Amino acid sequence: MTTLLTRAGLDFRPSNVYGVWLRHWLAFKGGWLVDSTSIVAEPLFVLLAVGFGIGKFVEGIEGDLSYQEFVAPGIIAANAMWPALFNCSWGAYQRMENQKIYETMISAPVNLSELAAGEIVWGATRAGMTTAAVLLIATLLGLISSPLALLILPLGFLVGLVFGGMGLVYASIAPTQHSMMLIFTLIGTPIFFFSGAFFPIDSLHSGVQPIAWAMPLTGAVHVARGLSTGELAMSHLYGLLYMIALASVFYPAAFLLLRRKLIT
Amino acid sequence: MSDIQAKPIIQAVGLRKDYGVFHAVKGIDFEVMPGEIFGMLGPNGAGKTTTMRMLSSVSPITAGQIFIDGLNVEDEPRKVRDRIGVVAQHDGLDQDLNVHQNLVTYARYFSITGKAAQERAREMLEFFGLDHRSGSSIHTLSGGMKRRLTLARAFMTRPKVVILDEPSTGLDPQSRNRVWEQLFRIRDAGATILMSTHYMEEAAQLCDRLVIMDNGNILSRGTPDDLVLEHAGSLTAVIRPNNGSGPAVRTALEESGKVVRDRGTSMVVHGPEELRSELAQIPDATVRFRVSTLEDVFLNLTGRELREE
Repeated sequence: MTTLLTRAGLDFRPSNVYGVWLRHWLAFKGGWLVDSTSIVAEPLFVLLAVGFGIGKFVEGIEGDLSYQEFVAPGIIAANAMWPALFNCSWGAYQRMENQKIYETMISAPVNLSELAAGEIVWGATRAGMTTAAVLLIATLLGLISSPLALLILPLGFLVGLVFGGMGLVYASIAPTQHSMMLIFTLIGTPIFFFSGAFFPIDSLHSGVQPIAWAMPLTGAVHVARGLSTGELAMSHLYGLLYMIALASVFYPAAFLLLRRKLIT
Repeated sequence: MSDIQAKPIIQAVGLRKDYGVFHAVKGIDFEVMPGEIFGMLGPNGAGKTTTMRMLSSVSPITAGQIFIDGLNVEDEPRKVRDRIGVVAQHDGLDQDLNVHQNLVTYARYFSITGKAAQERAREMLEFFGLDHRSGSSIHTLSGGMKRRLTLARAFMTRPKVVILDEPSTGLDPQSRNRVWEQLFRIRDAGATILMSTHYMEEAAQLCDRLVIMDNGNILSRGTPDDLVLEHAGSLTAVIRPNNGSGPAVRTALEESGKVVRDRGTSMVVHGPEELRSELAQIPDATVRFRVSTLEDVFLNLTGRELREE
């Protein structure tokens, strides 16, 4: 019976996911001051520079929204991406290749499916922390108008699940540590800038709009904006479903690629 | 081990591992009895690490079977990992956690949590002489301390079987002795130890029984003493011929019925204690006698040095 479950990947211990998550929490607590500062500082700088710096030169953008109000939810959603992506790509690669702690875990009764889930859920937790911090700041700055904006918090977590999964996929196929940089420059950066966080996707050339809409962050930016203004439409539901779909594709992909890499 | 009723706690049958066209382990059989320290002695590339990774179920088996504590490793990998402690060659320590956190975090993967984990961690830190370093970060530990911490970690869960890959590689002699001491104590506490090594001295000192491996095969097996006796006698005469007289010395020895083996500029003859008087005086050569070792066994079996450093 156990054999069948194991082979089908169904022998899944949630307590091990928690164990991996707890490992990350302990490590995070060890350096929380540095980490927390970076969690808050970077998005805050972006919010101030783009929202209030560039924003001065931008007329009202969509309906009655000021540019600051337009850009704030975008920045919140977009900044949820980085910590998840970083933890599950660069961080995961370190743990796997340099510290060899993945080998330690899978030599213990942890299955790779649980390890991958723990990594991604921790990435999402970090995304949630950033989201909470930036959301609070944006609210204090008066840029959030609807109580629905509280739902941006779980949305940030979902962004973390998506990009945690994506990062882990990349970590398990990246050939060298050096090549880990590419996920930030070639994938993270364009997604950050072209997912509609800083300007409406409609303003892009019509030929590239579908690409922008397909980007894994665009849905989240769109939903975050809807939640912060309180004006929701079906398109927000589609955005949400798209994010959920991505998360549910990246996780098994990451798990299978990790297995291919580590179980040799 | 005198217990005749004892069943092997580890059993490998026709164990094989191929990586594409490369045959890393070529169909080996061995059995480890409860309470033994069992060694796999061989040079790098002999297939020791591959075998150990298959034992701990992180490497799929190409052919053959492994049973640990009666469980088929392929069928019940998780139950097997519940029962074993693995110390890999690299430390696999978590650099982001301190000493104590490394232990309790690992224990949690075995569902040992809370007070039980704390208690056990304290015991283990004391047992392995690390109690004063509980809160230290990993990179401040010496090589010997790190190795002891990996032993402590593996032993956190009271495993029935401890699998150790090259436990003393890279350690200075003092730390090595300390690790050996602790392996004996682990065994005395009831665990079975399977270890790999390419130090013949380590194998001779620690192992109750061992297999000698090379190129994915087991060449010979037995207790260290039996292996030495079988393949290298008890005494080794190292004969260094005077300039130019090598061939003559060799012929003379061979005519007296001795098996002569070349060792660079000298030659050796293995045999019983009597060798000492028989070869006391050889014309045109100086002779020294020493106790035969596993190094001789390995050289005789493979024609190569065990340690190529």
